[in-house]
Amino acid sequence: MSPEVAVQQALNGISFGALLFILAAGLSLIFGMMDVVNLAHGAFYMLGAYIALTVVQRTGQFWLGLVLAPLLVGALGLAIEPLLLRRLRGRHLDQVLLTIGISLVIGDLIGLIAGREIRSLPFPAGLDHSVPIMGGDYPVYRLFVIAFGLALAALFAFVHRRSRIGALIRAGVDDAPMLAALGVDIDRLFATTFGVGAALAAVAGVIAAPVFGVFPGMDVDALIYSLIVVVVGGLGTLSGAIAGGALVGPADTFGKVLFPQFALALIFAIVAFVLLLRPTGLLGRVRIVR
Amino acid sequence: MTDSDTSYRLSRRKFLAAGGAVALAAACGPAAAPSASPSAAATASAAATTALKPLKIGQLLPFTKVYAELGNSMKRSTDLYLKQKGNKLAGRTVAPPIYEDEANDPVVGAQKTQKFIEQDQVDVMMGIVATPIAYAVRNAIDSAKMIFIETNAGGNSLTRDVPNCTPACKSKYIFRSSFSSWQISAPIGEYFATKRGVKEAFTFVADYGFGTESAADFTNSFTKAGGKVTGSLKAPLGSADFLPFVTQLKNQPTKDIYSFFSGTDAINYIKAWNQLGMPAAGYKMNGAGFLTEQDVLKEVKELANGAVTSLFWAVTLDNAENKAFVDAYQKEYNLLPDVFAVQAWDGMNALDLALQAVKGDTSNKDAFIAALENVKFNSPRGAFEFDKVTHNPIQDMYIRQVAVQNGAAVNTIVDKIARVTDPGKPTT
Repeated sequence: MSPEVAVQQALNGISFGALLFILAAGLSLIFGMMDVVNLAHGAFYMLGAYIALTVVQRTGQFWLGLVLAPLLVGALGLAIEPLLLRRLRGRHLDQVLLTIGISLVIGDLIGLIAGREIRSLPFPAGLDHSVPIMGGDYPVYRLFVIAFGLALAALFAFVHRRSRIGALIRAGVDDAPMLAALGVDIDRLFATTFGVGAALAAVAGVIAAPVFGVFPGMDVDALIYSLIVVVVGGLGTLSGAIAGGALVGPADTFGKVLFPQFALALIFAIVAFVLLLRPTGLLGRVRIVR
Repeated sequence: MTDSDTSYRLSRRKFLAAGGAVALAAACGPAAAPSASPSAAATASAAATTALKPLKIGQLLPFTKVYAELGNSMKRSTDLYLKQKGNKLAGRTVAPPIYEDEANDPVVGAQKTQKFIEQDQVDVMMGIVATPIAYAVRNAIDSAKMIFIETNAGGNSLTRDVPNCTPACKSKYIFRSSFSSWQISAPIGEYFATKRGVKEAFTFVADYGFGTESAADFTNSFTKAGGKVTGSLKAPLGSADFLPFVTQLKNQPTKDIYSFFSGTDAINYIKAWNQLGMPAAGYKMNGAGFLTEQDVLKEVKELANGAVTSLFWAVTLDNAENKAFVDAYQKEYNLLPDVFAVQAWDGMNALDLALQAVKGDTSNKDAFIAALENVKFNSPRGAFEFDKVTHNPIQDMYIRQVAVQNGAAVNTIVDKIARVTDPGKPTT
C-alpha cells in the first residue's frame, strides 16, 4: 500500500469511526445514566433520517433537517420516558421488551407513511465535492463528518466535566438513588436524558443518511453498529463511545482492505478480541450492584 | 416480525371462519374460503377435480426489511394481472392470492412454504426474492410435487444439473420467470471483449452467493473471448461504507470495472464512486443490470451516467407489450413498473397460458408441467419461453447505457444479445 493510499484509507477509517461514535453516543448516554439498554435506538436513528429526507424533499434544506429531526425525535423520547419507560424502572428484561416494541411500531409506521422503497439523501450543497489531499481527491462530506464527530466529542467532554448537568450525570451514573435522596428530581433528569439520547440518535440518522442510505431495515443495522461500539468502548461511558468509534472505524476499514476475505466477520472479531482482553470494554468500569 | 404475526392471526381467523364455511359447503361443491382441516380439505379436493374449485395461488414475497419494495412491486403486478382478467384464468375462478412475508430469512421462508403445502394446499406457489430462500425450500417443493414459479431469485443452481444437488438443483416442478445470474453476467463479458474491444477488466461484487456467481460467470466468458481479468474485490452484502473499496479500485490501473450490486448497496457504491472522482479519472462502471435499475436510478440520478449494464428488460424498451404493460401499471398505481413487476407479470402470464392449455385443470401435474414447458408469448421484455430442459427462460439480453434525457436518468438500449439460454450445468 502506497503512502497516499494509506493516508486516504486512514481518513476513510477515521470518518467511519466518527460516524460510529455519533451513532453510539445516544445509546451510551441512556445506558450510563438510566441503566436502560435502549433497543429503540435504531428506530430513533431511522426516524431522524426519514424526517431529514422529508424536509430535504419539501424544502431542499439539509441543515433544516439536521435541526428539526433531533427536535422532533427528542420530543418523542421526552414523552416516551414518563409515559412508558418509567413504569418499568429497574426491570431490565421488561425494558428491553418495551424498547423492542417501540422500535417495531416506529419501523412499521415509517413503512406505512413513507413507503418501503430504498431512498438516499443527497450530500448537502457545499459539501458534495472533493478536495485534493496527498495527490488524491477526498470527499468534503467525510471531512465534515470527522469535524462534526470531534466537535460533538468536545461538547460532551465540556458538559460532562464542567457543567452542573455534567455533575448530575456523573452522580447519576454512580448512584441514582443517592442523587434522588439529595433532592434532585430524578424523574425529570431521566426524562431529559432519554429525550437527549433520542435526539442524538436522530442527529446520527441525519448525518449518516447521505453515506449509509435510507431504507427499511436501517434501524437494525444502526442498532447493531451502536451496540458494537458501546460494548467495545465500555458500557455507559461517553469516553467509551469515543474510544469504541476510534478503534472500530479504522480497524474495520483497514481490515476490509488488507484482509478482504475476512471483511464480513472482521467487525465481530474485533469485538471478541477486545472483550477477551478487557471484558468491560476499553474504558469500561465495573459497576457496583447492590 | 409484526407483519408475519398479523398475517398469522388474520389467517387463523379466516381459517376458523373457513372451517365453518367448509363444513357447511363441502357437500355442495366449491368453497370460496381457504380450506380448514386436512380432512375437510380432502373432501373438498375430491369434489373439486370435476367441479374446478377456485385456483389457489400462494405468493411468498418480502414485505418487510430491505427487499420490502420488491415484494410490493410483485404483488402490485400480480393483482393487476388478475384484475385485468376479472379474477379468472382459463375460465377458472382465482381465489385472492395468499400473500406471505418471506422476511428475507430462509427459516421463515421454509415455514411459509410448508404452510402453502400443508395448510393452504395451494395449486401454484410463486415468488421468492432471495436466492438462499429459494435454495432452502427447493427440496420441500420437489417432494411435495407443488408447482412453483420462481419470480425473482436468480441463483444458477435452481435450474441446473448440479452434482449432489448442492446447494440446489433443477426440479421438474420448479419454473423460473425471471433469469439466472449467468444470463445477466456472462453474455456481457463476451460482449465487452468482442464488441467493445475491452482488453482488461476488474471485478467488484457483493460478497454473497449471487455476487460471487456473477463475477465468476463474467470472468469466464470475458476470458474465453480473449479478455483478461486483472483482479477482483468483494464487499460484504449491506456494507455501510463503500469508500474504502472504491479507494482500492482507484488505486489499481484497470479502468473497466464489472460490478454486481443492487438496491441500497448499489446506491452507496455509485455515490462513493462519484465522491472519489472515478469518472474524471477515466474509470468506467459496468455490471449486471440491477446496478442501475429504477429503484437505484431514481435516487442516484445523473451520478450513474454512462454506466453500461445488461438485463432482459428496461422501462424504455420499445415494443407493444411493454407499452401496454407500462401504461396499465402506471394507470393503476400512478408509478412506473420495475423489472420485478415484469418478472411477476410474466409468471402470471405463463401460468395463465398453461392453464388455458389444460382447460384450467391442474389436477394432472404432468399435463400441467408439459403445458408450462410449451408456453410461448410476447412479454414486455420481448419473446418469452421456458427452456424445456432447465425451466429457466430463454430470453434476449439488452445492453443498456445510462443517459440523462430531459433531466431524468434512464437506461437506453444500445445493443441486444438474442436468445440467451442458460448452459444448464455448472460452467468452468
